[in-house]
Amino acid sequence: MNGTVVVVGAGPAGLMAGLAAARAGARVRVLAKGWGLFHWHAGCVDVLGYDPVGGGRIVSLREGLAALIAARPDHPYGLVGVDGVLAALADVSTVCAAAGYPLVGSFDRNRLVLTGVGGARPTCLAPATMAAGDLDRGDPAVIVGFDRFLDLTAGLVAANLEHRGIPSRAVTLDLPSLRGRRFVNGPILAALFETESFRAEVAAVLSPKVGRAGRVGFPAVLGLEGAAAVVADLRRRLGVDVFEIPVAPPSIPGIRLHRILVAAIRAAGGRVHDGMEAVGSESAERRVTALLTESAARNLRTRADAFVLATGGILGGGIVGHEDGELTEVVFGLPVNGPGDRADWLRPDFTDPAGHPVYRSGLTVDAELRPVGDDGMPVFGNVHVAGGAIGGADAIAERSVDGIALATGRYAGTLAAATALDRSEEAAAS
Amino acid sequence: MRRVQTEVLVIGGGATGTGILRDLAMRGFDALLVEQRDLSHGTTGRYHGLLHSGGRYVVKDPKAAVECIEENRVLRRIMPHCIEDTDGFFVVTPWDDIDYVSKFVEGCRVAGIPCEEVPVAKALAEEPYLNRRISHCFRVPDGSADSFLSAEDTVASAREHGAVLLTYHRVDGLVREGDRVVGARCHDLVAGEDVEVAADLVVNASGAWAGRIAAGADIHFEVLAGKGTMVAVNHRMVNTVINRCKMPDDGDIIVPIHTVAVIGTTDERVGDPERFTIEPWEIRLMLEEGEKLVPGISQMRILRAWAGVRPLYQETSTDETRDVTRAYAMLDHGTRDGVEGMVTMTGGKWTTFRQMAEVCVDRVCVKLGVERPCRTHLEPLPQSAAHPRYHWLGARLATIEEEQTYGDLVCECELATRDQVVDSIVIGEAKTIDDVRRDVRVGMGPCQGGWCAARVTGLIHELRSPPVEESNVALRDFLQERWKGLLPILWGSQLRQERLDELVHLSVLNVPDLPGPTASRLAPVAYQAPEGEP
Repeated sequence: MNGTVVVVGAGPAGLMAGLAAARAGARVRVLAKGWGLFHWHAGCVDVLGYDPVGGGRIVSLREGLAALIAARPDHPYGLVGVDGVLAALADVSTVCAAAGYPLVGSFDRNRLVLTGVGGARPTCLAPATMAAGDLDRGDPAVIVGFDRFLDLTAGLVAANLEHRGIPSRAVTLDLPSLRGRRFVNGPILAALFETESFRAEVAAVLSPKVGRAGRVGFPAVLGLEGAAAVVADLRRRLGVDVFEIPVAPPSIPGIRLHRILVAAIRAAGGRVHDGMEAVGSESAERRVTALLTESAARNLRTRADAFVLATGGILGGGIVGHEDGELTEVVFGLPVNGPGDRADWLRPDFTDPAGHPVYRSGLTVDAELRPVGDDGMPVFGNVHVAGGAIGGADAIAERSVDGIALATGRYAGTLAAATALDRSEEAAAS
Repeated sequence: MRRVQTEVLVIGGGATGTGILRDLAMRGFDALLVEQRDLSHGTTGRYHGLLHSGGRYVVKDPKAAVECIEENRVLRRIMPHCIEDTDGFFVVTPWDDIDYVSKFVEGCRVAGIPCEEVPVAKALAEEPYLNRRISHCFRVPDGSADSFLSAEDTVASAREHGAVLLTYHRVDGLVREGDRVVGARCHDLVAGEDVEVAADLVVNASGAWAGRIAAGADIHFEVLAGKGTMVAVNHRMVNTVINRCKMPDDGDIIVPIHTVAVIGTTDERVGDPERFTIEPWEIRLMLEEGEKLVPGISQMRILRAWAGVRPLYQETSTDETRDVTRAYAMLDHGTRDGVEGMVTMTGGKWTTFRQMAEVCVDRVCVKLGVERPCRTHLEPLPQSAAHPRYHWLGARLATIEEEQTYGDLVCECELATRDQVVDSIVIGEAKTIDDVRRDVRVGMGPCQGGWCAARVTGLIHELRSPPVEESNVALRDFLQERWKGLLPILWGSQLRQERLDELVHLSVLNVPDLPGPTASRLAPVAYQAPEGEP
């Protein structure tokens, strides 16, 4: 099969694995039920926002990550190390920059990105379109909302900014071109912002209201394909910095990242398909030989030399928690490590900084990210796991969702390519 | 301290208290109601929503059955917009005693409850998910009722007749002068100030809290709190209320209401009406019993679990005068305890709340020496007078299609529009997001507030401009309250959905980071573990 890698799942872990495997020379197919985490998340790269061991916000990732790995060697970051994380961040930064959508940020200082309710989200890398919203900047801001776009209330965001000591003003635009529309949501605004006429309309209404503010924040809907150009154009028209504020899904900046990575995989010779839900597999001699998928038209069997399981944890649907406390992995039926009693799954406080035990459940993997059984031996020699399916972290509580996915995805993709190419060499030799 | 004067003070903003308020106002009394939180925050807002035909009581408690069918007819007349005319089935499953059937049929006849046997094949054609192994099926005029809307519109009617409503006013004690109760000391939780209400007569309609309230005037009786746990399933797998044809017991009813079906209930005595937990065995029992009526129900997605506390009046004194049926208790503390100026109305069920109010206000008339007949059964609520139609499942969607307001949905799950939420905040004076939920059902659908919670927070902030910490904590309170209802049922798809809500609220928006306290003084207290338990 000529070094074929099948990646199951198209969130950040699966896409990064697909890219890494394709670049390592494998024939890559990424198969997914639907699109993954990027569409639902903030469009940033969160690596570690809060310390799950000692509590508190992480300032320097270089220090925080090393300390976490030392304190919790079984944490997913322990599998890739600080270098593995840095390599993944470098890859994603390079790919995004090449696509004309640069990311900004530093491993030495988490950025604080303003959110759609006026909170601050600690993140490692943010798109340049969010740069001017950095909350370590104290200069005055204007926050822009749109009438009938309910996912950002400018007054609430501005009031929370004021509370932080950043002088802020709220402007809600009631634009003639929006009044006649049945829907005013993220994708529609993003499409409108791609047009010059809409940007001109927005700028004309907004310009007189900018005053002495040095920056203007919009909900993160400033274009899909041409976001960098949209932001630059608005900046020119308004004469001040323009930035985006992440809001509830669908995530326009997340969709941008998704598209950039899919394009990069395709450029590297890989293929990405959605609408193919993985429902099972065939295996022989401790190796998976084929993945079984269901789609609207027919069931398919896809053979490969190596597989990357990037179906996510409970959020992605790769792991399901059952009423009786059992936790199952849905594609390969791999053993899941987690609290077996449902009474131990969740804590009484929704926002408990320590997170909830059930979300730390997942697969146990060896140093090559292969899932292991109770005996500590790999269940399958040619399956590598990436992202949320790996146990050991409540990634939402510690704000490490993207970092774990990208770093383990990159590593799993590299390993899967090696496994597949070894395997195809063996096949060629025999 | 603020001082307020009224003729009659009603304590408790559930079905009983609001019903009494309307009756008082319609009979020309100057009436004021205080509720410690929002209307129907207590037991009224935490029941399964059954409009009883009385069928459940025909064998166990025939008098209650008669009251139910009488009031069923009255409520269908005066508030059809709060009622969905689902009908009810009583079905005999393989687990039920066949001897009960003849008693049931005879009981319905005696009580005057229309009861028609439906051939099993026809019943299964109407309700295809019903257990195919049922042997008999009887149709009765059960319905489902929106107890939030009913309380709200009952108060609206009372206000039209001059009544006053004070929500978020907690009663801290009764004011007693000698052998007479002359008012109550309250605390306004929103304004943070004490309020003294002076009244000629106090009506204690505080349900499971009634014993505690009365103790403040050194009047002692016991109201036991019977916790009933319910679960809501994400589908209306039945469109008819389904009852087991047997003596009423745990988990023997499924009520289709709005977009969900509710399985109810357990009955567990708890020490404190505000502090209790939902036990895993209760959920399991609901699903196991629900399975006998609708096989496969336990595999469906469970949206939320909740519990209400039934007030169970406990007789402690033998020589007393009280108007009582087994369904409710009316205590005249003048004759019972030698303390004038107060009556207590407690117990009962939602279906009979209007009748309870009538009985209670009849006594108020006697106490205040006037003769004024009840009219609550004659005049429909204002909203029903205008549109005398039953509520139906597709009503909201029909309105949205007619008005072309798809683009203005705050809550896509329950089809709540921005205008409805704004009305709830401005006209309905909602103080918390949970109040908005009770008014317009935001956050009650499959995603349990994943998207609408932040939107409602934004609207509250925009309309009220409170200090921003208050808006922030309102959002946190709502998320925590929602979490309490989810905790007992998080597995499968709903666990995954919950995880998505965490991604939105914790990661994308970082709600915990917002300025302000973790929880507010308006945060609901129910569902907290009893003191000393984890």
